[in-house]
Amino acid sequence: MKRRDFFKTSIAGAAAAMATSLEAGVTGQPIDNRKISTIAFPEKRPMITYSDRPPLLETPRCVFANTITPNDAFFVRWHMPDIPTHIDPKNYKIKIDGLVKKELNISLDFLKDPANFEQVEVTAVLQCGGNSRSAFKPTAGGIQWGHGAMGCAKWKGVRLSDLLDQAGLKKDAEWIGFNGSEKAAYYETPNFVRELHLDELDDHVILAYEMNGEDLPYLNGYPLRLVIPGSYSDSWVKMLSNITVTNKYKKLFFMDIAYRVPDNECECETPEKKAKKTKPITKMNVKSLIGYPENGTVLQTKSHVVVRGVAFDDGHGIRDVKISIDNGKTWKSAELDDGKAGRYAYRGFKLAIKPMKFGKMTIMAKAINKIGQEQPLAKDIKWNHGGYKFNGIDVVTVDVV
Amino acid sequence: MKKLLVLAAIVTAPLFAQVEGDIEVPYIPFEVKMGKGFGEVNANCLTCHSFGYVTNQGRQSKAFWAGKVKKLMVHFKAPITDPDAKIVTEYLYEEYGNGELK
Ligand code: HEC
Repeated sequence: MKRRDFFKTSIAGAAAAMATSLEAGVTGQPIDNRKISTIAFPEKRPMITYSDRPPLLETPRCVFANTITPNDAFFVRWHMPDIPTHIDPKNYKIKIDGLVKKELNISLDFLKDPANFEQVEVTAVLQCGGNSRSAFKPTAGGIQWGHGAMGCAKWKGVRLSDLLDQAGLKKDAEWIGFNGSEKAAYYETPNFVRELHLDELDDHVILAYEMNGEDLPYLNGYPLRLVIPGSYSDSWVKMLSNITVTNKYKKLFFMDIAYRVPDNECECETPEKKAKKTKPITKMNVKSLIGYPENGTVLQTKSHVVVRGVAFDDGHGIRDVKISIDNGKTWKSAELDDGKAGRYAYRGFKLAIKPMKFGKMTIMAKAINKIGQEQPLAKDIKWNHGGYKFNGIDVVTVDVV
Repeated sequence: MKKLLVLAAIVTAPLFAQVEGDIEVPYIPFEVKMGKGFGEVNANCLTCHSFGYVTNQGRQSKAFWAGKVKKLMVHFKAPITDPDAKIVTEYLYEEYGNGELK
């Protein structure tokens, strides 16, 4: 029996029980190898499935042996159960209002016309701030993701700044609010709205309509979503309906309570003593993931194995990925790809290894970025109540026969 | 490093047939354990999200489940009466508990 079969359970959540054997309060490896569902969602291959309403789908580890995540395997995360089930691209319009000189109501065709806006592309990693949350003990609030609440795609669209230029910002404009089209099932539940300060928006922020050369998949925010390279995905609002410019910050649940970490050096706290001051998660930290081999892969001794995976950060760029096959005693630099996909993209890495000893072998991967930040060991990552920003050194255990 | 490239003219392609009309989000038959309080869970906990949200937390302590129910009432304004909240907490601990109170 393959190890993978052994882990099969009727629902993705049941596997969470495995992690409870960990010592309380010590961060471990996230739950891996969860069962892939047999139910395919529109435009997706069957994925690890946590929920149908709202849809929550995770990408399995093997997909991260490649630097572009295919659209049909790209993770899906909505907050509200009520997402529109029909969008007519002919009638769809994005509205820009508030403190602008000229209110805009723009159709997709108008947006895609190079005569109106420069069409731009950026390859960037989209990662949920709670990716790998199941590594935290005690259980942190939210979906207990494994490693796959992330992906990297080539996004195509128009610059947000070009749009705002066309509308013309008024003098006192300061905040830009983004409304998605998902709706709560109950009228008092806060809707998913984001506000970004003008200072946070640079020319890399785009409104994307295309992903890896295709229309955005419905479940990834068709027809238009925000792309903020280097930032966690909670601010990449999907299925944009309108953009409102204001001079005052509104109090919003998903900005003021969710997606925040303790505002201290270690960004950590304890369940007994939660931090009083918090800050938004915003920029991603340095991280890597092994796509091949996986936990439980059976390998023949002295065979020619190539370890492959991806590494990324918030845009400083990856300098080095180190691999250890002796539990971290010695490390060897992997070969990195040419980096031409840009500093916001996955940097692919590979290293040839030859398993020599029978039994279990662990493979560890540690990324280091261009300003010298490196991934810590999982056990050295301190707890936060939302289970955000896990970036522990990845560990995969294979069976050598 | 330059990451934004200027592109040539675009062609609007027709929509992929699967999403041309209404899309259908499939229903997943999440297993919900029968037990005392099942009715209250059904009535109170499945309006805003699937049961997958609940089971995904794994087996947890009574305090954890009590806190979760409270979070949903306070932050997400789940309209749950206090007696129902109690029943649901008991149910969650009974069916999805880890045997610990705290
Ligand atoms: C008024 C709507 C609403 C109701 C009713 C509701 N929930 Fe939730 N629940 C939410 C929202 C919103 C989230 C967070 C969604 C997100 O971020 O994806 C959530 C998240 C959760 C989570 C995930 C863990 C976390 O901390 O976010 C669990 C578990 C959960 N709910 C259990 C329950 C239970 C049990 C009940 C019944 C007592 C319930 N919910 C009723 C709206 C609701």
